Amino acid sequence: MSKPRDPRDLLPLTPPVFHILLALAEGERHGYGIMQDVARQTANALQLGPGTLYGCLKRMLAAGLVEESGERPDPALDDERRRYYRMTGLGREAARAEAQRLSAAVSAARARRMFARPGVAEGKA
Amino acid sequence: MKPQSSTVRWLCRVYGALLYAYPREFRLEYGAAMQQVFRDGCRDASRSEGVFGVLRFALHTAADWVSTTVRESAIPRAAMEQAQAVWSAGRRQAPRGFVTEWVVTILLYLFASTTLVQAYVVPTGSMEGTVRVGDHMLVDRVAYAEAGSVARRLMPYQDIQRGDIVCFLYPEDVRQTYVKRVIGLPGDRIRMVNKQVIRNGRRLIEPYTQHIDPSADSFRDNFPEGVSYQVTPRGRDMLANHMVNGEIVVPPDTFFAMGDNRDNSLDSRFWGFVPRGYVVGKPVIIYWSFEAPTSDFEGWSVDHALDVALHFFSKTRWERMLTVPRPQRAQEIGDTR
Repeated sequence: MSKPRDPRDLLPLTPPVFHILLALAEGERHGYGIMQDVARQTANALQLGPGTLYGCLKRMLAAGLVEESGERPDPALDDERRRYYRMTGLGREAARAEAQRLSAAVSAARARRMFARPGVAEGKA
Repeated sequence: MKPQSSTVRWLCRVYGALLYAYPREFRLEYGAAMQQVFRDGCRDASRSEGVFGVLRFALHTAADWVSTTVRESAIPRAAMEQAQAVWSAGRRQAPRGFVTEWVVTILLYLFASTTLVQAYVVPTGSMEGTVRVGDHMLVDRVAYAEAGSVARRLMPYQDIQRGDIVCFLYPEDVRQTYVKRVIGLPGDRIRMVNKQVIRNGRRLIEPYTQHIDPSADSFRDNFPEGVSYQVTPRGRDMLANHMVNGEIVVPPDTFFAMGDNRDNSLDSRFWGFVPRGYVVGKPVIIYWSFEAPTSDFEGWSVDHALDVALHFFSKTRWERMLTVPRPQRAQEIGDTR
């Protein structure tokens, strides 16, 4: 398996992949924890289904963006064992590169007055 | 572990079965975790939003299932091993995989074709006037189904009403499905005087019936008076045990059904009540109607296939296509007492 040296080669990340990386930025989580966190990050705009979640995780594992960090119960839920995932160094770099790319895109949008509300920008009442 | 509702348990089982649509390696690797996530999601949805939350979550997961089964089977393994696959995840709709397409087709066929809607052809003329020999119709199997705790809120289930056209298993031989009109509900008193139905003492004006025999028959037209050699064992049981003062009283959880072609219909008069549990459904639409004799629709024959091929356009009753057999209420008049 050949991993890309430069995380920028991976850009742009799809929204599910980017948000999964963000969910893992604060530490390891299990599948359902990732799902909940992504929903929180995006104010429920992006709700990953189980198929999307594990499809992405599979590809992110293959690309070396995340790794498994063992299996254990989540005391907040119940005593069933769950598989935990954490972000790799490459994953963190890829997420940072994607965030910079998005931030540049947002700046460009602002420069073109995309955030100005029509009417207000023209000084109308 | 917290106890779960039966709905959630049932949904988890269904989801477990649906996981078989994913490629084998994917299922073996992630199936258990996906089921776990599904159960967690159901439980939280049920806690925060109750049964509607669970349904919303289940529908959302079903949509996810459709798109991701396709994606997982369509991406070749070689491509998966390349990191490139990362940025196609969740974005590009890959071409449909052969296997997945068939799995979805078969699932739809198995579930939709027998649990929701089923196609029937009418071989006999007992409902002639309303439903004709050679009518091919779709039957809504859910309409009269017993409502479960969840389904009750989802879909408007109906009770069987007088005047409804209903498909049901023929009580004397459940391999056959009959279509008739409901005339009497539990508690109703039924008799006939000179071809006219008298229900609970009131004469029925039935706009949907037809009479093809001008002569009168003691049993058929003055039910339950007289005798008929066509009465079956169940019919004899009805006449023996459910007759009160010359009227048949419909017992609980059954109904009394008759064909609209009154003079040529073997119906509840002859073989007794239809148990509620024998109901198959309600005809919703006639999708094709082909002019041919009864015998042609009772089995498959080369002659019939040839007839259809040669006379498809001339013998199809185009005016009946896509018509809806509607329930009709009889008008009740007078007190005959």
